[in-house]
Amino acid sequence: MNKKQFLTSLEKGLKKLSHEEREDIMHDFEEHFSIGLTDGKTEEQISESLGSPKQISKELVATSRIEKVEATATTTNIFRAVWAVIGLGFFNFVIVFGPFVALLALVFAGWWTGVAFISSPLLLVFSVIINPGTFEFFDLFFSLMLCGIGLFIAMGMLYVTKVLKNLFVRYLKYNVSLVKGGLEHD
Amino acid sequence: MNIQFKKGALELCVLALLYKQDRYGYEIVQKISDQIVISEGSVYPLLRRLKKEGYLTTYLQESKEGPSRKYYKLTDQGRDHLQVLNEEWKQFSEGVNQLIKEGDLNE
Repeated sequence: MNKKQFLTSLEKGLKKLSHEEREDIMHDFEEHFSIGLTDGKTEEQISESLGSPKQISKELVATSRIEKVEATATTTNIFRAVWAVIGLGFFNFVIVFGPFVALLALVFAGWWTGVAFISSPLLLVFSVIINPGTFEFFDLFFSLMLCGIGLFIAMGMLYVTKVLKNLFVRYLKYNVSLVKGGLEHD
Repeated sequence: MNIQFKKGALELCVLALLYKQDRYGYEIVQKISDQIVISEGSVYPLLRRLKKEGYLTTYLQESKEGPSRKYYKLTDQGRDHLQVLNEEWKQFSEGVNQLIKEGDLNE
C-alpha cells in the first residue's frame, strides 16, 4: 500500500466524523508520512508499519462516538457508540453486546412496569365502561394503590436509567481504551 | 504478546516519553516501535484520546526539514496520571516477577 492508498482508505473510514476532526486526523498521518520519507523510508514501508487503516479509522470513530454520548446522551448517540465499539472486533462484540442487550431489557421492563401500574385506574375505568355492573371498590382501591406504586417505580427508573447510562458509557470507554484492536498487524 | 495487555501499557509508554520533553507524533511512534512490536498507526488514536481527556496539549512548531510539526506536551493532569499508572505498573510487574522467580522458570 502506498501513501495515497493508505490515506484514501483511512479517509473513507472516517466519513462519519465531522469535517474538522477528519481533516485534523488526516493531517497527522500526512505529517507522519512526510517525516518518514525524509527519514529515508519508502511509502510502502511506512504504511506497512502503520497497520490497517480500516482498523485505525474504526478506533477513531468509536472514540469520537463515545465522546458524543458523554456530551449529549440521546438514544441515537448511545446506539451509534455501541455500534462503533462492537465493530472494533469480535471480542468487543461479545463483551459489549451482551451487557447492552441485558441493560436495555432491564430498563424497558422497569419502565413498562411503571407505566402499566400508573395506568391501572384507567384500565379499571375502561373495564367498567365495557362491562357495567362489575364495579367493586376493592378494584378501585387496588388500582389506585398500583398507580401510586407505579409513580414511585417511574421515579426510581428515572434515577436508575441515568445511573445505568453513565455506567455503560464508562464501560464503553474502558473498552476502547483497553481492548481496541489494531495493535498487531491484521 | 497479548494485544490487550500491550494496549494498557501503551498509554504509560506515551506519557513516560513526554515526561522530560515535548515530542512530535512521528518521534513518539518511532521511540515506542524501537522497543515494542506495535501497529504504529494505533498510537495516533491514543494520542487523540489522551489529548481529549486533558492529559496532553498540542502545539505546532516549525522544523528545519520541512513543514511545521505537531508537538505533544504533558499537562499537569497528565503528569498526575502518569504517576498513578507508573505506580500501578511497578506493583504489577514486581508481582509478576516475584511469581516467575518462585516458579524457578529461569533455572
